[in-house]
Amino acid sequence: MEEPAQNPVSDGTQSAPSAKEEPFPGESRAIAFGFAGWLVPGLGHALQRMWGRALVVFFAVGLLVFAGASMKGNVFTRQGSDAFDTLGYIADLGTGSFYFFARAIETGGADVSHAGGDYGTRLLATAGVLNLLAALHAYEAARGHKA
Amino acid sequence: MTVVPPVELTHFQAFLLFAMVISVAFGFLGRRRPKDRVKYILWSFFLFLLVGIGIGWAMLPFSR
Repeated sequence: MEEPAQNPVSDGTQSAPSAKEEPFPGESRAIAFGFAGWLVPGLGHALQRMWGRALVVFFAVGLLVFAGASMKGNVFTRQGSDAFDTLGYIADLGTGSFYFFARAIETGGADVSHAGGDYGTRLLATAGVLNLLAALHAYEAARGHKA
Repeated sequence: MTVVPPVELTHFQAFLLFAMVISVAFGFLGRRRPKDRVKYILWSFFLFLLVGIGIGWAMLPFSR
């Protein structure tokens, strides 16, 4: 049995529920969660009380950044010499605030003359892409999509 | 001068670290129930190893 409509306005779409009864958060809220997730890995999920996912994302990205920088991987900067450097910079920026953590660890500079440094570069890029994926996941979850 | 001592990992150790961390992250992001997560993590980890070692074997003739 259907409840009577409280809002008589009908334009063929579902009437806008009040903020308290809103089934899904607004778009701006979802974007804020996604941005927060990018800025601090896991924060987008933590704000939605998805504690397990928040912790896993935080430690996964943190571990990859720590390992990558400790292995003397290349932490790219804005002053890239070619398109690959720019792409690497974008991937590294995906770690959000952890980018500066990587820069702080790797004060001695990168050493990609050995395989370890090259692996470190890949781990740093992986951390960034993983964090972007997690931020997108937080955004979708905030929009009410099944996650 | 570095803040932390440099980490030395072999190829296989770096490969295992990558596979393990990504599998756990994928499992938690992709599945909701704990049992499904464990199955997904194990399956993903296994496939990472299988594909990585498989590609390594496939490249073996070209490395000589």
